[in-house]
Amino acid sequence: MKRRWLTWSGIGVLAVLMALALAACGDDGDDAADTSGDDGGDDIAAVIEQLGGPVTFGEPAKGGTFRIANTDFAQSDGFDPTGEYFGSAWTIYNSLMLRTLVSYPFTAGSAGNELVADLATELPEPSADGLTWTFTLKDGVKFGPPVNRDVTSKDIAYAFQRIATPSVAAQYANYYQVIKGLPEFSAGEAKTISGIQTPDDKTITFTLTQPTGDFLFRLAMPATAPIPREVGKCYTQAAEYGRYVIASGPYMIDGSDKLDISSCGSQKPISGFNPNTGLYLVRNPNYDPATDDVEIRQSNPDRFEISVNTNLDNIFAQIERGELEGSFETPPNAVLRRYLQDPESRERLRVNSGDRIWFAYMNLTTPPFDDVHVRKAMNLVMDLEGVQRAWGGPVQGSIPTDVLPDTLMPELTADSYAPYQAAPFAGDVDAAKEEMKLSAYDTDKDGLCDAPACKGIVHLNRNFAPWSTQSPIIVQSAAQIGIELETREASRSAVNDASGKPGREIPLSSGNGWGKDYADPSTFMVLFDGRNILADGNTAFSLVGLTPAKAKEVGATIPASGPVPSVDADIDACNPLTGQERTDCWVALNKKITEEIVPWVPLMDATAIDLIGPAVTQYDMDQNGTEMALSRVAVDESLQK
Amino acid sequence: MSTAAPDAAGLPDAPTPVSDAHAIVGKTPWQLFWGRFRQDRFALAGLGIIILLVLMAVFAPLFAALVGHGPNELFQRETTDIFGIPEGPTSSFWFGADNNGRDVFVRTIYGTRVSLMVGVLATAIAVVVGVVLGVIAGYFGGWIDTVISRITDIILSVPLLLFAIGIVAACSTSKEGCLYGTLKPGLSLVIVIISLFTWPYVTRLVRSNTLSLREREFVEASRSLGASDLRIMFKEILPNLVSPIIVYASLLIPSNILFEAYLSFLGLGVPDDTPSWGSMVSDSLQNFDVVWWLWLFPGLFLLVSVLAFNLLGDGLRDALDPRANRS
Repeated sequence: MKRRWLTWSGIGVLAVLMALALAACGDDGDDAADTSGDDGGDDIAAVIEQLGGPVTFGEPAKGGTFRIANTDFAQSDGFDPTGEYFGSAWTIYNSLMLRTLVSYPFTAGSAGNELVADLATELPEPSADGLTWTFTLKDGVKFGPPVNRDVTSKDIAYAFQRIATPSVAAQYANYYQVIKGLPEFSAGEAKTISGIQTPDDKTITFTLTQPTGDFLFRLAMPATAPIPREVGKCYTQAAEYGRYVIASGPYMIDGSDKLDISSCGSQKPISGFNPNTGLYLVRNPNYDPATDDVEIRQSNPDRFEISVNTNLDNIFAQIERGELEGSFETPPNAVLRRYLQDPESRERLRVNSGDRIWFAYMNLTTPPFDDVHVRKAMNLVMDLEGVQRAWGGPVQGSIPTDVLPDTLMPELTADSYAPYQAAPFAGDVDAAKEEMKLSAYDTDKDGLCDAPACKGIVHLNRNFAPWSTQSPIIVQSAAQIGIELETREASRSAVNDASGKPGREIPLSSGNGWGKDYADPSTFMVLFDGRNILADGNTAFSLVGLTPAKAKEVGATIPASGPVPSVDADIDACNPLTGQERTDCWVALNKKITEEIVPWVPLMDATAIDLIGPAVTQYDMDQNGTEMALSRVAVDESLQK
Repeated sequence: MSTAAPDAAGLPDAPTPVSDAHAIVGKTPWQLFWGRFRQDRFALAGLGIIILLVLMAVFAPLFAALVGHGPNELFQRETTDIFGIPEGPTSSFWFGADNNGRDVFVRTIYGTRVSLMVGVLATAIAVVVGVVLGVIAGYFGGWIDTVISRITDIILSVPLLLFAIGIVAACSTSKEGCLYGTLKPGLSLVIVIISLFTWPYVTRLVRSNTLSLREREFVEASRSLGASDLRIMFKEILPNLVSPIIVYASLLIPSNILFEAYLSFLGLGVPDDTPSWGSMVSDSLQNFDVVWWLWLFPGLFLLVSVLAFNLLGDGLRDALDPRANRS
């Protein structure tokens, strides 16, 4: 008996495949037919414009369970607020669980990036020298069970001690190095942070070593939220506290009241949070709405369920069926298209600014990108419209014309500031060639990069969509000015790892992006600050401001063509300023970086997209966390499935 | 009066004369093989498909010229909508377009090149390395056998996919590649990775057969006539291993084609400008149910080619070793 089963099984699989294909044709025949390329881009842009901001469906009411699913709960520090650095976690903390001295209104647009007082009675002004900030805490704010006591200034001071404790791995501790005595505490040279004083339970004073115009923004970050020492002292290693977080906001982890805090040994992880399955939040019985702005923290649902489902398609199918209310994930392009083309359902799709920019960084130490004319030519020739389409079109983001997202720099939107290309931003080959002629790498001055350094340039990128989809566009654009790129694709972590090591000398990478930490341009300027260049984990990718000493330290090389330009002094000049002066300073520096330094080709000013289920009766977007504003959502249980 | 065959009549061991119509004609091993192989219609079909695939791979540029689209030529504006979703099969894009507006038909045809090249070259390297080490281990035995066998055990115990991910990441994320620039991402790296993990199987097969063959009389005879170890291994023993090696190699090729597809599907294979069926299928992931043509056509080619090689391998095994039990 010969192995005919092999043949028949093959034929069977073929038949199944054909059947699947026919089914796919049948189900989506209309979709496929619509992809003609006659896209009506202006119409879609107008539709997307209307889908920003808050929305209500019927009468929002209190009660119910708000259900969210994500493909994982892969937080960056195990959900310990001291170290956690993911926007989704920040939204959960700020909207629901934790309160900070100052906070945000949890709404979409620039209004959502404005600061409001939270634990503090008001937003204070600094002392005349800009070095001292004093806050008075509101009365009646209590920790949730099992701590059940008033939040005091010492709990905030303790949070800063955790930030300064290296073993806890506070990932953005750099923002607090301006506090007097904090670096010494971190180094183990002091037992307290001298720049934080708590003269009584309701007062806390910060003394800084230099004026810092954005200090209030830094106090709105979740790591600064009060932590009860009686629980926190048991968890001094990175990520440990994540399963024992004690609430100070309107919601707590389900099962918090069962936590036995009589000793460290008696504490077992709170049952309502398991990183592998999800996070379940219930109302904190100690939360008093009278201590809060109930317009901002409406706290409508009785319960939040944030679960894990590794099947992205299934998540959005469940949302459409009313089995979920939302997700922190971005819907697939086909889902976006279906909603945007359907006037009946498109309001369930919410599109807001993501305050995040994706870019192709050029290494200023690596030929031919050590020549500013080559870098400018790259900006001129890049088919940005093609890149946008590769991402999924305007719904996924707008075309950037500078190095900051539009929401952080509304003065320089594409309408008013476009130093390289004009609409439709499909690449200006002639202008790029003219620029290239000025470069030493164009030896015969024909507008094409023809030196040996122009061939086989490593172009690093992520190996999955949409990044992998944009690669051919970038390669084709660069080829028009003689730059031959050799694309190498790798996983997200491998790209981040290689980009973070200047010694690898990656000339060009388009797999990197940056989102704001808070709504101030300074959180992007760290990417151009030469003092931030690290040998490993570097985010100042282009190596702007690299000095010979720093180059030696991080394993990079100063190019033979000359020193690397720096904006360190410009950053220092802007940082102490406040108000309009500060804004003007950042605008000028943004222009300088975009036009004179030219470290990147900005590719996408990304949106934040939410698909909300049919049972959601009220939605808003938290512009600070760039996720759904959980403090403002409402759900109608009768519409849930 | 004469009688038939007077010369032969005097020889005691002469065969009995037969008429011409019933004469026994000696057959060469090739004739025996072909006689059995050609009766296997499925194997012949497999061979026919493989020949077609080879022709497609060789003449891929002609197909591209026929439709007027290069494998990496972008028609993004013409074939994708405002959401970046490409159009399906049309009269100018027979298999539809991909997310960048490239012609899926042309890329599928070009993908044949990668699959065949990886399948055949990786198998060839694995067979050469595996045969040499297997014969040495089986023939000499002792500590040499122990060392080679343990090395194969170690290689087979390495988690293949994790290793592939690691080595591709290491070689992709530096300017010079890895191993001082000798290994760079691309087809050669994929072939090296696949060969690295497949030679131990060949070694084990050859070693076990050599262990048996080295005790046979013809080996003893050679040794007693003063033949060197090298001659015995490669002139006496190796020819007796040709059949199992051919059969195994023919079954290894489809497995290596699939391996390449896995790697490319995960973004660890050949670069994007080298069309590969695995990476083409992975392009459909984001909008799987809408852009069915992105996975269907390369998937079908992958399935058919793997099936063809398996049918051929099955037929070769039947023809080269008819005594083996196939039930």
